[in-house]
Amino acid sequence: MANDIPLSWFLYFAAAAFATGLVGVLLRRNAIAVLMAIEIMLNAANVNLVAFWRYGTPAPGAGPLPGVILALLVITVAAAEVAVGIGLILLCYRRWRAVDVDRYETMSG
Amino acid sequence: MGEVVVARILFLAIAALGLLAALGTVLSRNLVHAALHLVGFFFCVACLFVMLEAEFLAAVQVLIYIGAVAILLMFGIMLTRNTRGDDATSLSGPWRLPGLVAGLCLFGALVFGINNAVSPSGASPWAGEAARPSLVEREGEPAWAAERRRAVEDMGRVVGEEFLTRYAMAFELAGLLLTAALVGAVALAHRDEVGAAELPPTVEALPADSAEPVGTAAS
Repeated sequence: MANDIPLSWFLYFAAAAFATGLVGVLLRRNAIAVLMAIEIMLNAANVNLVAFWRYGTPAPGAGPLPGVILALLVITVAAAEVAVGIGLILLCYRRWRAVDVDRYETMSG
Repeated sequence: MGEVVVARILFLAIAALGLLAALGTVLSRNLVHAALHLVGFFFCVACLFVMLEAEFLAAVQVLIYIGAVAILLMFGIMLTRNTRGDDATSLSGPWRLPGLVAGLCLFGALVFGINNAVSPSGASPWAGEAARPSLVEREGEPAWAAERRRAVEDMGRVVGEEFLTRYAMAFELAGLLLTAALVGAVALAHRDEVGAAELPPTVEALPADSAEPVGTAAS
């Protein structure tokens, strides 16, 4: 097993992808584009989890694959979030005829 | 030695493609193009999972993210297609610079943290550690090495065992969450004809020429 990509390379990739996702959340005005940027951030976190699982030594009693299980749960939560988020966006679109998050201003004082 | 160079070149190529796809998702004006870039990013992340020897997770990533989430987002894009032009998909002007600065600052902070990581007392620092723990069987290896070798070689089975023993509560909670999300999504998106008629006319703020949206026309 001479395959030794440094751990930090995976972390740099995840950091860059997370920063890209954050820029997307801040800059996009379309609600669905914001949802996509959130998915990018969740995926970056998953890369970190799996990289630390593979490179680190597990804590005693942690089981054989703690990072992978946590990544699977993150994927589950992300899928649920997208389903509910799309439902909410469709509801808002039906009501205000817009997917622009700047126009959802009913509650702004 | 050659394998290491090949693996590193492969990693760099996949990471570069993934970052380009992420940038395309964030920057492209056409939302359908953004969704296709997002599919590319998901696929690059799945490739990274394969390079981390988590093939089961890569398969799950392709099935759930590319197969379900991206398609769901595509449906959302199609149903909310803005009939008044593409102005809602453009980047917002006055907030462009602060957003970019925030992203760059976050990236700088994360890189600083990765470079100057302090390990917990008693553990070896992880940042300089180049090689992942070997999977080759050898004498006198710790117990977790054998466990991990089995987990890597037969990940689907071990994931199932773990979910039904050690993480049974988390598994139940994930099932509950998925059920709640299913019911919630149906309840949100369900079109109640009686209730819709009683809604106040909230479209008066719109220009009068806004055509009937695609979503309402199709349903």
